[in-house]
Amino acid sequence: MSAAQASTTGRAPAGGVRWLTLRRRRALLPAIFVAPGLAWLVVFYAIPIVSQLWVSLQTGNPDDGFAQTYNWSVYPDSLSEYHTHLVRSLGYAGLATILCFVIAFPLAYFIAFKAGRWKSIFLLLIILPFFTSMIVRTVAWQTLLADEGFVVSTLRSLGLLNVLGESGRVLATPQAVIAGITYNFLPFMALPLYASLERMDRGLVEAATDLYASRWTAFRKITLPLAAPGIFAGTLLTFIPAIGDYINAQLLGTPQQYMIGNVIQSQYLNVRDYPVAAALSFIVMVIVLVIIVIAARALGTRRLSEAVAA
Amino acid sequence: MRTRVDRIRDVLIGAWAVLAIVYLFIPIFVIVLFSFNDNKGRFNFTWQGFTLRHWKDPFAVEGLSDAMVTSLSIAALCTVISITLGTFVALAIVRYRFVGRGATNTLVFLPLATPEVVLGAALLGWFLTMSFARGFTTVLIAHVMFTLGYVVITIRARLEGMDLHIEEAAQDLGANQMTTIRKVTLPLIAPGIVAAGLLAFAISIDDFVVSNFNAGQTVTFPLFVYGAARQGVPPQVNVMATMLLGLALVLMFVNVAIQRRAARRDAALGPQPARV
Amino acid sequence: MTSDPTGTPKSMIEFLDRLIAGERVSRRSALRRFAAAGLTVGGSSALLAACGGVKGTNEGKTTVDVTKVDHPTKDPVGKVVISNWPLYIDKKVIPGWEKKVGGKLDYIEDYNDNEEFYAKVRQELEAGQPIGRDMVIPTDWMAARWISRGFSEPIDKDNVPNCTANVLPALKSPAFDKNRDFTVPWQSGITAVGYNPKLTGRKLESVNDLFDPKFKGRVTFLTEWRDSAGLVLLAMGKDPVTATKDDYLAAIDKMGEESAKGQIRRFTGNDYAKDLASGNIWACIAWSGDIVQLQPDNPHLEFLVPEQGAMTWSDNMMIPKGAENPYGAETWMNYVYQPPVAAKITEYVNYFCPVKGVKELLIDKSPDLANNQLIFPDEQTLSRLNGYPAFSEADDREITAAMQKVTGA
Repeated sequence: MSAAQASTTGRAPAGGVRWLTLRRRRALLPAIFVAPGLAWLVVFYAIPIVSQLWVSLQTGNPDDGFAQTYNWSVYPDSLSEYHTHLVRSLGYAGLATILCFVIAFPLAYFIAFKAGRWKSIFLLLIILPFFTSMIVRTVAWQTLLADEGFVVSTLRSLGLLNVLGESGRVLATPQAVIAGITYNFLPFMALPLYASLERMDRGLVEAATDLYASRWTAFRKITLPLAAPGIFAGTLLTFIPAIGDYINAQLLGTPQQYMIGNVIQSQYLNVRDYPVAAALSFIVMVIVLVIIVIAARALGTRRLSEAVAA
Repeated sequence: MRTRVDRIRDVLIGAWAVLAIVYLFIPIFVIVLFSFNDNKGRFNFTWQGFTLRHWKDPFAVEGLSDAMVTSLSIAALCTVISITLGTFVALAIVRYRFVGRGATNTLVFLPLATPEVVLGAALLGWFLTMSFARGFTTVLIAHVMFTLGYVVITIRARLEGMDLHIEEAAQDLGANQMTTIRKVTLPLIAPGIVAAGLLAFAISIDDFVVSNFNAGQTVTFPLFVYGAARQGVPPQVNVMATMLLGLALVLMFVNVAIQRRAARRDAALGPQPARV
Repeated sequence: MTSDPTGTPKSMIEFLDRLIAGERVSRRSALRRFAAAGLTVGGSSALLAACGGVKGTNEGKTTVDVTKVDHPTKDPVGKVVISNWPLYIDKKVIPGWEKKVGGKLDYIEDYNDNEEFYAKVRQELEAGQPIGRDMVIPTDWMAARWISRGFSEPIDKDNVPNCTANVLPALKSPAFDKNRDFTVPWQSGITAVGYNPKLTGRKLESVNDLFDPKFKGRVTFLTEWRDSAGLVLLAMGKDPVTATKDDYLAAIDKMGEESAKGQIRRFTGNDYAKDLASGNIWACIAWSGDIVQLQPDNPHLEFLVPEQGAMTWSDNMMIPKGAENPYGAETWMNYVYQPPVAAKITEYVNYFCPVKGVKELLIDKSPDLANNQLIFPDEQTLSRLNGYPAFSEADDREITAAMQKVTGA
């Protein structure tokens, strides 16, 4: 890809001029191209997200209806009520992201540099499990982690039950929830990592080692920085969706592990306190936007979404 | 200049990679295995012997097959709409400089980076405000919304990896812009479109969260499984999940074949690396 | 409320009084009657069931004249769409109906949770749009909400003679639908304690046993506060029917503490069943039919109806307003109220059956079932059963919100 990139930009003057003249002639064309897709995103993404703010400021109840009262206190109120869920979500998502990185980096490295002709097979194997529904996979984990299930009985027969601590179980613990999130988001880390490693110029590493840098130094000074866009993208694509996840907490955890997604979900669908639900999801969106802006600043939106594209 | 340390390191990395893949497949193994479980009661989580009866009658659970049909139709429609809209957005972003290009880029990217629960909740709030009845249509709308970004980015990548000279050549030979796009650009980015379509299909068929918010009384496959998970998932769910896996495998091989052919054609046309 | 035919309320206050207090008292007496009748055949109250005849008097918002209901017969009846709880029928009975009336049944098992389902269809109902279902199966308290909001279509009693004739006397006139103008019970059940004596190591006697520290993390409660808090109140010696909002909030607090301590592992819907059968949990608040159904997976399981009392409920067949084929839905009601059909369903779902004459049908064929206390409970069990409370919508919401906080979301 980097080669393609370079060649496109390299040719930019000639090609650019040509397309520029085309643009003048057909200024309408890009507008027509973009309009339907953009309209879809504006109407069904941008407006709904912004309208969350509007909904959050209403008061009322589901039976008699809600009215707009600009009740800003919903924000401090729901934050003080649910800040533990929010902090927990960030914590679990953070831990899961780190675990994903630890698992995925060697995997991506192996596929990019060592797998040879098995490369596409390995890539396929990473994606394949995700064609079964996430729900089905998580239910399968439930079976595996059950108190009398495969994992616990294996630990028991190995005499390792005490690693589970006083509860003596895996299911319905924070560890199970974090493991579930890690599992479900692993490809979102592995694939961008692979993509950025793959487009790396291996010659640089060889040059470094030729110049008597140790393997480790070469890795640290060359491989890691060059993989940075992938690490960035992988982190974003894992961390952000994980913040809002609630399936893992619901199927593998207890109320003590419930995350902000569980709250939003039940406030919307069960309690039907739409203002609180909207306020919480707006807060999550703001957190996400802050993270994206920081990431974009550090990397530039262009490269960010490019890295994501992998 | 490979030392022994290097070899050991390679072996360790290889072992780690294989373990990671095994980790990814542990639940898949359970899913496939339990599609053959001869369960006696209403649950299917302790191994009680081998049977083919669930495979002989995968459609025995009525709501399940309906849910699967719903999921497949939504995914198919979503794929078609998404790649139609997405291809043109990608073309515009890559081939033109226009006002709002940056904003378009951002808007395409944002849904990818929004937690699903926020997407689902926001959309539900919007549909509620608009008094728009939830059902098949709203799920489809939602799925197109969050697959569009993936589609645009995938096709964009393919477009960017493409040699402009071919298009220029076509225009030099007198083809107008639309003809160039139709006869040259589209065929060349076809593998990108196929990959994007696969991605959109996969994401749509797997989606639970956004659908759960916006489905109304429509039941998709993941929604059915979620409902059934509270009661004891019938083994037919495992059968269907395994079939889906098989279907995915076939589609992926088709995709790989198309990519390979495209790569060969690209190679023939010039030194342009194809994207995976 | 302007056309309340039982006498115009003299004042708003009086009306509300009757609505709240009166409702609750009558509800309670209805349940006592339920218990007294003992679900035996031929109680004299059966005679009370005149069909139709009385105008809808349901609290406030409904002004449906149930006498004028007329769903003309159709032959064939065509397509009928039903939403029911999962695993709540033996599907083998469906072809019988289809053949008999020339119908096509679209039977959807997407009714997973009363509130959730209601939330999904409420908007359409309010807008007067059809929800794409000819029948739904809400639990008593939810059926009450649909009726009071005018979201349900009255039943044309002429089309359901079997229901009128065969419904158990005890279930003939629940407080929320005195003449069964809108609902017909589908199945009834008990909410009490399910447990595995092998794991607990002892017999349990009371809901309080679930708070035994030895069972820490091995206990689940239901997310449904009417069940969970009701049982906690019974264990405290309070009557769940007359208990106040504050009593309920206190019971919910108690569960919240136990959950925070890690004593209560989770709050569940039907999903406790899997945990119980697989040994993840040792004891839980459970529904009677589930325990019977779980026994093939785990024969050790027991169901305790504590001396202090347990909760009882029905899920009811109901036609939503705007249904396309109300007559078709009625033919289904009528069909499943034939004892042989009802017996088939009972054999499969193992809840207690609201249809007369089923025990007699089953006694030879499957005596185990016919003598099962959880399917055909005896006098003693019945005397321990209590119904749900009736709170105003605002109180209901407050309690629901409190429970939601405890259940962790």
